[in-house]
Amino acid sequence: MTEALIEVEGLSVTFRSEHGHALRAVDDVTLEIAEGEVVGLVGESGCGKTTLASCIAGRLAPSTGVVRFDGRELEVSRTVEDRRAIQMVFQDPYSSLNPRMTVRHVLSELLKVHRLVPRSGIEARCRELMALVGLPTSALDGLPSQFSGGQRQRIAIARALTVEPRVIIADEPVSALDVSVQATILKLFEDLRSRLGLTVVFISHNLAVVRHLSDRVAVMYLGRIVEQGDREAVFGDPRHPYTRALLAAAPRLHQVELVRAVVKGEPPSPIDIPTGCPFHPRCPRSEEICTRQRPALAQAGACPRHLAACHFRDETASRAEP
Amino acid sequence: MTPLLEVEDLVVEMRRHGVAFRAVDGVSFALERGGALAIVGESGCGKSLTLRAVMGLLPSGGRLSSGRVVVDGVALPVEARGRGRGHRQHRRMSIVFQDALSALSPVATVGNQIAEAPRHVLGLGRAESRERAIELLRLVGIPDPERRYHAYPHELSGGTRQRVMIAIALSSEPAILLCDEPTTALDVTIQTQILALLAELRRERGLSLVFVTHDLGVVSQVAENVAVMYTGRFVETGPTAEVLAAPRHPYTSGLLAAAPDVDRPEHEPVAIPGSLPDPLALPAGCRFHPRCRFATAECLTTDVRLQPVGPGRQSACLHSDVLAAAQAAVGHD
Repeated sequence: MTEALIEVEGLSVTFRSEHGHALRAVDDVTLEIAEGEVVGLVGESGCGKTTLASCIAGRLAPSTGVVRFDGRELEVSRTVEDRRAIQMVFQDPYSSLNPRMTVRHVLSELLKVHRLVPRSGIEARCRELMALVGLPTSALDGLPSQFSGGQRQRIAIARALTVEPRVIIADEPVSALDVSVQATILKLFEDLRSRLGLTVVFISHNLAVVRHLSDRVAVMYLGRIVEQGDREAVFGDPRHPYTRALLAAAPRLHQVELVRAVVKGEPPSPIDIPTGCPFHPRCPRSEEICTRQRPALAQAGACPRHLAACHFRDETASRAEP
Repeated sequence: MTPLLEVEDLVVEMRRHGVAFRAVDGVSFALERGGALAIVGESGCGKSLTLRAVMGLLPSGGRLSSGRVVVDGVALPVEARGRGRGHRQHRRMSIVFQDALSALSPVATVGNQIAEAPRHVLGLGRAESRERAIELLRLVGIPDPERRYHAYPHELSGGTRQRVMIAIALSSEPAILLCDEPTTALDVTIQTQILALLAELRRERGLSLVFVTHDLGVVSQVAENVAVMYTGRFVETGPTAEVLAAPRHPYTSGLLAAAPDVDRPEHEPVAIPGSLPDPLALPAGCRFHPRCRFATAECLTTDVRLQPVGPGRQSACLHSDVLAAAQAAVGHD
């Protein structure tokens, strides 16, 4: 395995709710991300995937745990270089772009502030960035409102690339886009990875998108990673019942019959996490041990990097779901 | 037997920058008793407006310039604003919206909101209405309904709120449920539960469904018939399984190819070239022609409408046979 570019170790984030309850949004997460890798982070709303990403990007200080980058531990208040190295792209490109600034203004401002190119080279670099994200040079003169959703997401990506990051964390970057244009943005991420060697953390609730794009996948539930591993290990041979449930519930074009709702109920409140395995109240495979003992993330299946946090991780899908 | 719901040549005008345009442009469909139709399309195609026009709930600025809505053989009085409820045939329909939090009243308990129609529309007594509301909460799968009766919408999760919306929709005992992206804001495991609930309501109460969605992936789970909508018009209609397996309109096949497939990571999603046209500057001829790889000179000038292309199937494409042949040649992807 290649040296990890990003190492997250024992990271937890606890928020205080307005009633004084402790809300553990991220709970003891350990994750390694290799250079040039695309890691998909999957899970339903409130599972902590965005909070985890914010910690990696340095937008939020973890309560405990560390984030290492290139072998160095990152301080809570990061240097400009470290902040530049890890950039985020958000779901809604409309609200994350200044509506009054032309694209050229946005990009050249960043180039000036960070002194990335000599003043005379700013225009050329702006054009280069447009070409990189597949927009015509004329787009530089436009305001965000003049672009379609897909184009706006390209602009947001161009802005992230302006500061020459090594890592892009994309938080649901195609979820707000129409299906007919989603594919172009997915393709763009693939291109950027192969042309610039970018490392990408791709957050999505859409399993099809994550399976298509990622090398490795981590599935989160109630703040914890419940399963992680190489893409095909996790999707081809899921060992956590929650991963199986997500896969079963994923929308499919050619559904022969109605999907049985495999999982009962709704995720519990993160201020009142169930004892034992946090998934046990909804789990079709739950037994008595699950109610008292929290399973650790441990080796599952044949692939050495495939981990699952389930007492029955050695069972394959056919056994668990008769 | 007459269909339960017939919609004929519905035209909804909206305005943008003071200019009127047809956001829904001649939509017709029929729904059999107990049947289900999914209307699928991308943002701005007019699918939600179609539903709202049928329900008589057009947003302000919208104008129903023509069209007929016939419920059980009785034409609804249509007024220009496309609003106007209260006709007894209107009560045969209920609507469920995507965003339950903004559709529900924040200052009334969910129980009172569900009991409203039984009390004031069906004319039941206070205690009876309350009983009915609790029964409905149970029917839509909300545990501990006596306690939840007193909850306010903000105290409930997204999935439970959507169940409450469905309970309210059912409270006036409709024959038709109109659903406007009811699961779009929900997580997939909850979406599955709501879709299962709708299927159960159809099976056990004989409810008919019109289900609007942007997600082709849920269509096969909710409806046996589908209509694909583009720029205010239906461009393809037919039985869901057939349309998804062998589309006869290039837009349908484009949508199918654009989505990644969770079971086939090797499938390379292909975007439809270009973007949705500005409704104020629609292309002449076939409105899809600038994005279509099958377009010929004829498509630039011919305003193509739905034509029969097989038993129960229609397509608004001059080259639907070419598309069918192309699929047969490569094996549809």
